[in-house]
Amino acid sequence: MVDMVLSQKKKYRIAVAWAQDTGTISAINRTVKDGFVEAIMIGQAGRIKDLCSEHGIDPCLFSLVDSENETDASERAVRLVKTGEADIIMKGLVGTDKFLKAVMDKEYGLMLPDAVVSYVGVVEIPAYHKLLFITDAAVIPYPDLKQKVAMAGYAINIARRFGIDTPKIALIGASEKVSSHFQYSTDYVEMKRIAEQGYFGRCIMDGPLDLFLSCDEKSVETKGVRTPVNGDADILLFPSLESCNPFYKSLMLFAEGELGGLIMGTSKPVILMSRSESEKSKYYCIALSCLMA
Amino acid sequence: MVLKSLADLKEIVAGEPKKKLIVAAAQDQHSLGAVVRAWKDNVIEPILVGDKEQILNICAANNYDITGVRIIHEPDTDMAVEMSIKMVNSKQGDVLMKGKIGTSSLLKGVLNREWGLRTGNLLSHFALFEVETYPKVIAVTDVAMNIAPNLQDKIAIINNSVGCLIKLGYKMPKVAVLGAVEMVNESMEATLHAALLSKMNQRDQIKNCLIDGPLAFDNAVSLESAKRKGIRSEVAGDTDLLLMPDIEVGNVLYKSLVFFARAKVAAVILGARVPIVLTSRSDSEQAKYDSILLSAAASK
Repeated sequence: MVDMVLSQKKKYRIAVAWAQDTGTISAINRTVKDGFVEAIMIGQAGRIKDLCSEHGIDPCLFSLVDSENETDASERAVRLVKTGEADIIMKGLVGTDKFLKAVMDKEYGLMLPDAVVSYVGVVEIPAYHKLLFITDAAVIPYPDLKQKVAMAGYAINIARRFGIDTPKIALIGASEKVSSHFQYSTDYVEMKRIAEQGYFGRCIMDGPLDLFLSCDEKSVETKGVRTPVNGDADILLFPSLESCNPFYKSLMLFAEGELGGLIMGTSKPVILMSRSESEKSKYYCIALSCLMA
Repeated sequence: MVLKSLADLKEIVAGEPKKKLIVAAAQDQHSLGAVVRAWKDNVIEPILVGDKEQILNICAANNYDITGVRIIHEPDTDMAVEMSIKMVNSKQGDVLMKGKIGTSSLLKGVLNREWGLRTGNLLSHFALFEVETYPKVIAVTDVAMNIAPNLQDKIAIINNSVGCLIKLGYKMPKVAVLGAVEMVNESMEATLHAALLSKMNQRDQIKNCLIDGPLAFDNAVSLESAKRKGIRSEVAGDTDLLLMPDIEVGNVLYKSLVFFARAKVAAVILGARVPIVLTSRSDSEQAKYDSILLSAAASK
């Protein structure tokens, strides 16, 4: 991913809201040093400088903008992107709700008319033979059909940026059976239908499928289920944030996974990461946002 | 005591009188391998109820020497289930295991009002995972049985699981109630349940364990993550038991741990008169073997 960004030979301007966070500063520092980012750090300037010196980072590598609170920092960052002074916005130490409030403000925010705002993550896991795109781990708790269709569209779009011509999308459920008890499973039937009609362009979509049938060819054989995804999914679409969130966290903590993730449906890329994400994950996330800018 | 690995189960079982494992419809290649291995290792005494000829054929084809193992001939699978359960009820068996029969057929027998294994408790699935990067075994419930448990169901599921952990030697196991976020959010029912369960635990309405929630997965199993978020909790980062909000979340997490994190797993159905081993074809033989051990350990 980083190679793809570097090959574009461009510097992306990133506005970081409430930037006095060690993990964020170190990740930004790496992207600046690697030559693909110019950073505007908005927050308590004194604190940012202190953190930089604690970790041997030169604060002169960044433009610093002093701000006294989270809301102000978020609004300023949004404004910089809106006026074209920055290409990408990133959440620092500010709470997700305050940050998203600024981003999604109807008048001053980065919302596109009628767009569904959702989150797509990219995970690299040693136990899987390729990158895995997942949605939605952060924004929509229980997506309805329209939201799921938008989520699939965003994930397919990102996968294509990674050179995957015909992405395989697994629509995740607890089993492969369609049941009227599970609204998501009947939504999946509808999604498959519109996928077949060409709504998403070239792609292979199937569901409900459990994780094994989506990602493990051997399980497909053992279970004798016929699915075009065939244990080789590029994209996993989850029925709820509740299932997607622990899924990616289990990968990060127990399967040496690394995650990058983006908010989709906004006019410019928005990097939203949990404060507990590692520096490495944050770095990947920034690289991904540059690819999407 | 806290389990460090699934191998610890063997020590627990070895220190007790040998348990009798009744396999219903035992003519099942996928189960017999693990059963025979557990028998050879002297950790259980199997009783095979099913089609004797088929059982012997499978054993011969796989070179399982089962000389000395009691086989009760009953070719009809539903009858085999009924006979197995009646044997448990007459104290001839300590653990019940599913052979070549559908899960629903076995459970129908277990729940039979006349001769089943009902105790008045909810049946729930309990699994132990051994993950390389977590310092101890982590128990997860319910990833397979209860589809969308309500608050009362969750209390029953916790009680089943805590009871089992105590039998395994735990004292005051730490229970994390999983949410997508660690804040109580009224639009996410799981977080409301989590808050209620925590408070009910504080007031001793749910005993013998320490409950906290909602905790997101990272806070539940990583102290570092919890600290970074500023969460004060005795459970965070040190979870023994992770309660799932519903089967979708549980199913995904279970499969993620097994497939991506290469976790070892053992599982048992709790809440009936005896522990029930209910493995599926896609489980490895090791998982079936460890599930037999777990059930034997849980049956004292």
